Amino acid sequence: MTLADVPVIPQLDLELRHIRKRYGDFVAVNDVSLQVGKGQFICLLGPSGCGKTTTLRCVAGLEEPDAGDILIGGREVTGEPPWKRDIAMMFQDFALFPHMTVAKQVGFGLEMLKKPKAQIAARVAEVLKAFEIGHLAERRPAQLSGGQKQRVALARAMVTEPRILLLDEPIGALDYSLRETVMLELKTLQKRSGISFIWVTHDQNEAFSLGDHVVVMNHARIEQQGRPDEVLSRPRTAFVAGFIQGNNVLEGKAGLVRDGVLEVMTALGTFRVPLLDLAPPAAGSALSFSVRAERLIERPGEDVPNRIALRCITVEYFGAFRRHVLEGAGGTVVKYDQFGALPQSIREGENIVLGWSLDNGVLHRAPPA
Amino acid sequence: MSTIRLRSPAAFWLALPAGLWMALAVVLPVLLIVWVSLWGGTSVSPNNPITFDNYQRFLSNQNYLWLIGDTLVQTAMIMAITGVLGYCIAYFLTVKVASPGWRVALFLAFVIPFWTSTLIRAIAFVPFLGVNGLLNQALMAIGLIERPIQAFLYSRLGISMAQVSLYTLLASGPVVYMLNSIPPALREAAMTLKAPPIIVFWRIILPLTLPGIVIGQVLVFLNVLADFITVTTVGGNKLAFLGNLILLFYEGSQIRATAVVSVLLMLLMLAGVTLALRVVDIRKIGG
Repeated sequence: MTLADVPVIPQLDLELRHIRKRYGDFVAVNDVSLQVGKGQFICLLGPSGCGKTTTLRCVAGLEEPDAGDILIGGREVTGEPPWKRDIAMMFQDFALFPHMTVAKQVGFGLEMLKKPKAQIAARVAEVLKAFEIGHLAERRPAQLSGGQKQRVALARAMVTEPRILLLDEPIGALDYSLRETVMLELKTLQKRSGISFIWVTHDQNEAFSLGDHVVVMNHARIEQQGRPDEVLSRPRTAFVAGFIQGNNVLEGKAGLVRDGVLEVMTALGTFRVPLLDLAPPAAGSALSFSVRAERLIERPGEDVPNRIALRCITVEYFGAFRRHVLEGAGGTVVKYDQFGALPQSIREGENIVLGWSLDNGVLHRAPPA
Repeated sequence: MSTIRLRSPAAFWLALPAGLWMALAVVLPVLLIVWVSLWGGTSVSPNNPITFDNYQRFLSNQNYLWLIGDTLVQTAMIMAITGVLGYCIAYFLTVKVASPGWRVALFLAFVIPFWTSTLIRAIAFVPFLGVNGLLNQALMAIGLIERPIQAFLYSRLGISMAQVSLYTLLASGPVVYMLNSIPPALREAAMTLKAPPIIVFWRIILPLTLPGIVIGQVLVFLNVLADFITVTTVGGNKLAFLGNLILLFYEGSQIRATAVVSVLLMLLMLAGVTLALRVVDIRKIGG
């Protein structure tokens, strides 16, 4: 066997193996495993208290996991303090040192690496220029605006070119008008620098538009991870489907399986949902599936297998789409989004039949017993 | 809510009572003392000529100059000890004690003794430091010494021990406040920028608590300079600092000398506070 035959395994920037962390009785992180390839943009997404920030702090070394391993660049760092890890971190409120000028602040990481003074000054000037904050070099944090602080914090974290940059809700403290611009800039910066970004957020728009890989967390566990389009089009659990906007989550009981299609009995009727890669559930067991609101069809033809009779309650017009909120048997609420600037076709109070084609139903994994 | 503008009639009338009180209780007596310190002649009379003779006489006495120097040395020593000790206690209470319950308990144990008056606390040191005092008995009980140490009470060592105990809280309190106002994220940010704990302390924590240290030092400085009670009670009549000298002259009816020492003491205090204000702007604290 020659060297060329050995498969080249690209070295991972970060690997988490079964991380656990508890505070007293509260489990903050439960069996979290994650692999981050070279220069990837990872988004940890979830509601507050889901363990995403604790996971990030474990990577930084600010928290020590109770069990599990952390590898940075293929090197085991579990138990090592933050100052020995090849990471940098950007904090939610930026955590700028109030007594240091911007230049001193940005040079701090280089000082810690014991770089010569002249080299630090040159590098700081270069980075400040690149971040367009050169004119702020002698200011202190109190004299900066929110957007400027954000740039300083980013420059301070990136100046040493770490392997991984950890970002804890990095644009949460900014005005809405600034966020979109900053997001674009950060995405470009990440691509150009080749530094892996691990971005913690509760905002799904951020997560899905920025991430190469999205990790959805809930109750200390990873619910689902994958490419943004994968997670969006195929939520694997009821939580993920419900957390992502625009999904109708329907609960019911399993019926018979025929040709890889499961019958699900719900309050709204019986529907046919493809099993795909899931094992056929026991008949009568509780389960859920979801249908995206824009995948519903108005007044479906006879060939559409899944149909519901509904009454329209409200219609909201958002510009890009029109959202209809409808109610079915037993008070179940269904959302239907109509994209494109089409004339309104369903009036409030109107009774209507909606349907969806077989492959638009997404079955969820059975909830843990 | 309306605000009171500077130099408006409302501001003037609101400041008047306190202003009057300050003028009568502080400014006027100080002016009187300064005036008396400049009296020539020998009688107590408003018609005395104004002269600097009293100062000249006092400052040309070698013994008194030594005493001024000695007072300053003692003050500096107490400032140094209470500064280090107070900072350590403040750091321990706010940073190292993780449980909030313990923090409150320890903080109260530290603070409650200071609710008693300075005089009582100073006197309380007599039975503590005496030949049959608590300290000697404790040291003998654990076998560190065989016979009581006499030098605890009525000595400079005793005074210093008492003063350190009396004034450490003053040095510590402002530091506790400053430490509490440092967001934990700053420490963490420094650590993720590759700073080990000792550097985090030196480069982040210490500079950010500097105003607290300076204010604490000013408080200790003023209190030790003004302290004659501890020196009298714990030091017996063996020792005197500037504060005691005022008392001695006063009891000896030497009204001019009393005033001279008082003015000199006030000038020392003023110089110290001015110096401290150059280092840190106290008005910025808490704003």
